[in-house]
Amino acid sequence: MKKWIAGILSALLAVLMAFSFIGCGGGNEAEEELDEEGNTIIDMMVHVAQQSAEGMAYSRITDSFNSSDTAKENKIKIRVDYSPRSTSATGYETELGNMLNNGTLPDIITFDAPNTWNYAENSILADITGLIAEETQSDFFEISKNTYNGKLYGLPIQESSAGIYYNKAIFRSAGLLGEVEKMTVDDAWTMTEFENICNRLKGKCDLPVDLQLYNANDEMATYLLYPFILAGGGTFLSSDGMTATGFFDSAATVAAFDRLRGWVNNGYTSFDASNVGFYTGKIAMYLSSGWSIPEIRNQYTQQLGEDWGILPYPKGDKGIAASATGSWSFGMTTQCSTPEKAAIVLEWLVSTDSSVAITDATGMIPARRSAVEKKGYTPGSPEYVLYDQLNKTGKTRPGTIAYPEFSSRFRAVVNQIREGTQTTASIVSGQASQFQTYLDRYGR
Amino acid sequence: MIVTSIAIIGVFLLLFAAFIVKDIVAAKRSVHKTVHYSVRESIGAYLMLFPALALICLFVLLPIVYSLGYAFTDYYLLSPNDVGFIGFDNFADIIENIRKHGTVYNAIINTLKFVVFVVPLQIGMALGLAMLVNKKARGMGVFKVMYFAPVVISLTVTSYLWVRILGGGDSGLLNSFLVKLGSEPISFLYDPQGAMYWIIFVSAWQGCGYQMLIFLSGLKGIDSTLYEAAELDGAGKGRQFLAVTVPGLRSVLTFVIITVFIGACKVMVQPMLMTGEQTFTITLNYLMYIEGYTYRWVGYSSAIALLMTIAIGAITFLQRYLLKEED
Repeated sequence: MKKWIAGILSALLAVLMAFSFIGCGGGNEAEEELDEEGNTIIDMMVHVAQQSAEGMAYSRITDSFNSSDTAKENKIKIRVDYSPRSTSATGYETELGNMLNNGTLPDIITFDAPNTWNYAENSILADITGLIAEETQSDFFEISKNTYNGKLYGLPIQESSAGIYYNKAIFRSAGLLGEVEKMTVDDAWTMTEFENICNRLKGKCDLPVDLQLYNANDEMATYLLYPFILAGGGTFLSSDGMTATGFFDSAATVAAFDRLRGWVNNGYTSFDASNVGFYTGKIAMYLSSGWSIPEIRNQYTQQLGEDWGILPYPKGDKGIAASATGSWSFGMTTQCSTPEKAAIVLEWLVSTDSSVAITDATGMIPARRSAVEKKGYTPGSPEYVLYDQLNKTGKTRPGTIAYPEFSSRFRAVVNQIREGTQTTASIVSGQASQFQTYLDRYGR
Repeated sequence: MIVTSIAIIGVFLLLFAAFIVKDIVAAKRSVHKTVHYSVRESIGAYLMLFPALALICLFVLLPIVYSLGYAFTDYYLLSPNDVGFIGFDNFADIIENIRKHGTVYNAIINTLKFVVFVVPLQIGMALGLAMLVNKKARGMGVFKVMYFAPVVISLTVTSYLWVRILGGGDSGLLNSFLVKLGSEPISFLYDPQGAMYWIIFVSAWQGCGYQMLIFLSGLKGIDSTLYEAAELDGAGKGRQFLAVTVPGLRSVLTFVIITVFIGACKVMVQPMLMTGEQTFTITLNYLMYIEGYTYRWVGYSSAIALLMTIAIGAITFLQRYLLKEED
C-alpha cells in the first residue's frame, strides 16, 4: 500500500482521537419511570449490603414508605439498589462517577459527608434547600447538615462521634478509675493528662491505647485522628478550602502531628496493635466511633460485660476541644427527573422515626433533635457522652472540593510517621506541598 | 462518546481493510509465483480474524486512543462535560513532582526496583523449577501441579494470604512464631527498607509457575542427543547448561523475558493489598489508579499512563533488538 494512504488514515485517526474527549456524555436527565400501577419509581442507591444491620434498617424504612398512605397519595414507590462500598469507599464512589458519566444516576443516593463540596461542585448532588420543609431542616443539628455555599445538598442519615472507650477493670487495677469515671465533656481531660494516664497504664496491660493507627490506609484514620490535630491548635486549609500551604504545614500542625508521633515512640500506642485487643481485655483504651457500642454489646459481653465506658477526646493544653463528626447522608442527584416526589421520599428517609430506626441498628447518634429526644439517652451512658460531645466539641472534617486528596495526604503523614525516616516537619511540609498542587489543579 | 467510539473503531477497520487490500495486491503482483494465491482463501482468513480484531479494537485499541487523548486534557471523572485541552500541563506537573521527589518519583523508583529484582528472580525460579520437573522421576507430576498452583489462585487471594503470614504485631503467622521464640515482632510489610523485597518475593513465587510450564515445553524440544554429544566432549553440567540448554531455549527465553518484564512494569495488586499507599511500595500502575479513580484526575492519570507506555515500549523494542542481534 502506498505510504500516503497509511498517512491519511493515521491522520484521520489522530483527528478522531483529538475529538474523542469532547464527545464525552453524561448529564442526561432520566425520564420519569412508572410502574404498572402508575406509581413513580424513585431509585435509591445505598452504600451498605442489604444483609447488614444498617441495610436491613433501610429495607424496613423503604418498605414502610411503600405501604404508607403518603406513598399511595403521591403515587410513589421506592426501589433500592444496595451497592456495598469497599473498605476504602472508592468502589462506591467510582460507581457514582461512572453513573454520572453515563447519565444513569439514581434519584437518591447515600454519600459520605466530607464529599458534599465535591459532589455539589461537580453536579452530582442537587440543591434541595427549597424542596425540604423548613421545620425539617431546622430540626437537624447545624453541624450535621450537608451545605455548600450556603445551600443544602443533603441531610444526614445519622451522626457520628468518636470517643475513647476504656476498660474499667484495667483502670481499676491500675488505681486510675477514680480519675476518669466521672469525667464529662465539660471537664474533659487535657492531652497532658491523657499522656500521664497512658504512662501509668504501661505494664498494666498489653498497650495503653489503640488509636487504630493500623487503619492508616483508610478514611478511618483521618476521621479518628484529625481532632487531635485541631485540639493541638493545628489547621489544614484556608476557609475557602483552596490553600494548604501555610495551614497544613503550620508550626502548630507540625507540633500536633509530632505529639502523636511521641505517643507511638513512648509506647502509649502502636501501629501494630491488635484490632480486637480492647474487645478482648488486653488493651486499656480504644479510640473508635459509636458503631463499636453495638459491637461490644452483641459480641463481647463475655469479655467486657458492662465494665467499660467512653471518655471524650482530650482537649489541647490551650483548652481547644475537638471531636470527630460526620457520617453518611441522603442526597438527591441532579439527574432526578421528579425532584418534588424525591423530596417527599427524602423527608420520609430522614424522618424522626426513620432516624430512630437506623440509629437503633447502627449504634450511632441521630442527627435531629426530635429523634435524640425520642431516644432519651441517660446522662452518663456511652451514647450520651457521644451525643454531648457532638454538640459541644464536634468539628467537621475540612470543607474542600479536594477532600479525597486531603484525606490521602493526611494519611500519608501518618504512614510516613510510621516509616520513621524523616522529621515530622519535613513529612508535613512535603505532603502540604503535594496537596497544594492538587488544589491548584482544581483552581485552573 | 458513542459516536466518537464508533468512528474510531471505523478508522481501525478501514486500516485493517487497507492492509487486506495491500496483501492481495502485493500477492497478485508478485513475480515469484512459488505460492499459489487465492483471493477467496485470503478473505476467508481475514474474516476469521475479524472477531478477535473487533474485540481488540473495543477493549485494547479504543481505550489506548482515548487515554492518549485524555493525557492532554484536564478531564476530571466527575465533570465529563467540562473537559478542556491543556496541552502539556499534565506532563509539566509530573516533571515538577519528580523534581520535588513526590509520589511520581517514589513510584518510578519502586517500579524500577521491582522490575530489576523480579525479572531475574522470577525467570531464574521458573527455569530452575522447569529443569527440576523435567527430570524423569516418580511423582514429578505432583510437583508440577504444586509449583503451578499459585498461578491459578487470584492475586488478591495470594496477596491477602501473605498479609496473614507477614502481618504486623503478633497477629501475623510468622510473627507469632517469632514471638513464641522470644523475639520482638517484626514489621515486615511496613519496613521502608524491606517491604518491597517481600512484594518482589511474593510476586515471583506467585508468577513463576506459569513461566515454568513455558520453559518446560522448551526443554522438551531440545534434542537429548545434544546433551550426549556434549558429555562425550567432556562438558560438565554447567557447561551443558550454557552450551546446550540456554541456546536451545533462546526463543522461549526472549518471550519469557519480554512478558515478565511487561508484567512487572504493571505491578499494582500486590502493593495495593499488601501495604496500601506507602511511599516505599507505591508503583506507577498503582499511582495511575489512585490518581484516576481515588482522586478522579483522569487526564493526569492518562499522562502517567502515556509516559509509562512509551517507556515500556522503548525498553521492549531494545530487548527485542538485543536478543535478535545475538541470534
